[in-house]
Amino acid sequence: MSGIEIRNLSYQYPTGSEKVLHNINLNIESGKFYAFVGVNGGGKTTLCNVIRGFIPHFFKGDISGEVLIDGKDVRDWDTSDLAQKMGFVFQNPFTQISGVKETVFDEIAFGLENLGVEVSVIKQKVQEIISLLGIGYIQDKNPNELSGGQKQRVALASIIVMEPDILIFDEPTSQLDPQGTEEIFKAIDIMKKKGKTIILVEHKIELIAEYADYVIVLQDGQIMRQGRTEDVLSHEDTQDYGIGLTQYTLLDLQMRKHNMITERIPITESDSIKVMKEWMSLQGVKA
Amino acid sequence: MEKLRTFILNLYPTTKFFITLFLMITPLLLPGYLYSYLVPVLCLFIAMIAGKTKLFVDIVFKGLLSIVIMIFLLQAFFYPGDTILWTWKIFSIKQEGIDFSVQLTSKILAVGSAIVLFFQITKINDLARSLEILGVSPKATYVLSSALNIIPEMRMHLLRIMDAQKTRGVETEGNLRIRLKAFFPALTPLILSSFSSTDEKAITLESRAFTARTKKTSLHQLEKTKSDSVVRVLLLILFVFILIWRFFL
Repeated sequence: MSGIEIRNLSYQYPTGSEKVLHNINLNIESGKFYAFVGVNGGGKTTLCNVIRGFIPHFFKGDISGEVLIDGKDVRDWDTSDLAQKMGFVFQNPFTQISGVKETVFDEIAFGLENLGVEVSVIKQKVQEIISLLGIGYIQDKNPNELSGGQKQRVALASIIVMEPDILIFDEPTSQLDPQGTEEIFKAIDIMKKKGKTIILVEHKIELIAEYADYVIVLQDGQIMRQGRTEDVLSHEDTQDYGIGLTQYTLLDLQMRKHNMITERIPITESDSIKVMKEWMSLQGVKA
Repeated sequence: MEKLRTFILNLYPTTKFFITLFLMITPLLLPGYLYSYLVPVLCLFIAMIAGKTKLFVDIVFKGLLSIVIMIFLLQAFFYPGDTILWTWKIFSIKQEGIDFSVQLTSKILAVGSAIVLFFQITKINDLARSLEILGVSPKATYVLSSALNIIPEMRMHLLRIMDAQKTRGVETEGNLRIRLKAFFPALTPLILSSFSSTDEKAITLESRAFTARTKKTSLHQLEKTKSDSVVRVLLLILFVFILIWRFFL
């Protein structure tokens, strides 16, 4: 079957004294957008590393349970096949530069060169990604001399240009301003529309509400809650796990406390406007 | 001039290497030291045409010259000989020592400046690519080019660490002693952080399918041109001529 299946997964780092992941069970359907949320130290990054196969291929430690990628255990996958199957953008943009390329254009092309793609095709694909992310103005710059946000965009571009089936983004917008973050989410959304599976670790809850299909809440290495975005993010007690709900949800929850019951709890701006308008017309208020 | 400049810079890396090799070997073949001392001048001339004068002179002066002077002095004083030119207490400069050190330093200067010239007129990425085309493993060429690329990056990182320590009250400016005292504590975080970033670098390479077993392609196109053949043939003729002149005439 395609997609990712995680069964009874537990993991402990070789240098750690306790488990960072406890008995994780998770199904990731292909073509869907999953967001991992939760407080720092909750195991989000570790879970990403397990799914990508860096644990146990790269980092050792005690792992138990199963991680199946397309029905095959991640430990049985060949590392070079995994690289083509899954793209991974991690937190630190400063080390995600190959260090041997002189221009951003060549840097983005590096992955495709390694995959042996023909030169004319590489040029075309890199050009497409550059215009998709709007980074044309830095394409001839040295990747080592970019700002944090620019590096982050280049790191993202370098991975999505390889067009893997599954894309894992571990806080890809940590260095970006709101504008840049929004652009990255749009780019991720385009990848989703191309049928890619997306796994995203992120703290910006309003954008998650807007774009993600499913939300997985992690705390202390356990999955506390999982489900469709609109279900998880509309529950008041989701806040107990250190997750801030969107202001639209908070507004609605406050209204409920004052017996102003809307038809449903909205989580996004557009939905909130719709719900509020409906509620007002029911109350006889003219908008 | 501009034409000559692009001519030199656009030569194929191996052609540049042959030029360097020629400049390195011929001083060892030819007798006397006059030609050997001419080689650095020749290198300087080529560097001037290529527009790299400042860098070339910088490295030769800072790196080579101190070594050469040191060797010269040591040999002049301690090479065994009888013709004493000048004495101070138990130390004396001998004619034989001078002769020998002139010979020796001329060769070192020639070989050294040829190597410096090579790295000034050859881009590392071009060199790495040409080695790959020759069949060297991409892993080896990656090590070569990343090692040379990482030096400026580490220097910047060191400055950042020292800045961070300065803001926390560590004295980093002043006389040599204070500077040295500030320098060593900065090295520890530099070395440790480069270890930890090696991990992430490896993950980066892994994510970019660096270990994929397919045959890699490259955007970096290198082509041999007519001028490469001309230079190579000229070098060969000169070399054969020198060999014949040296050993058969």
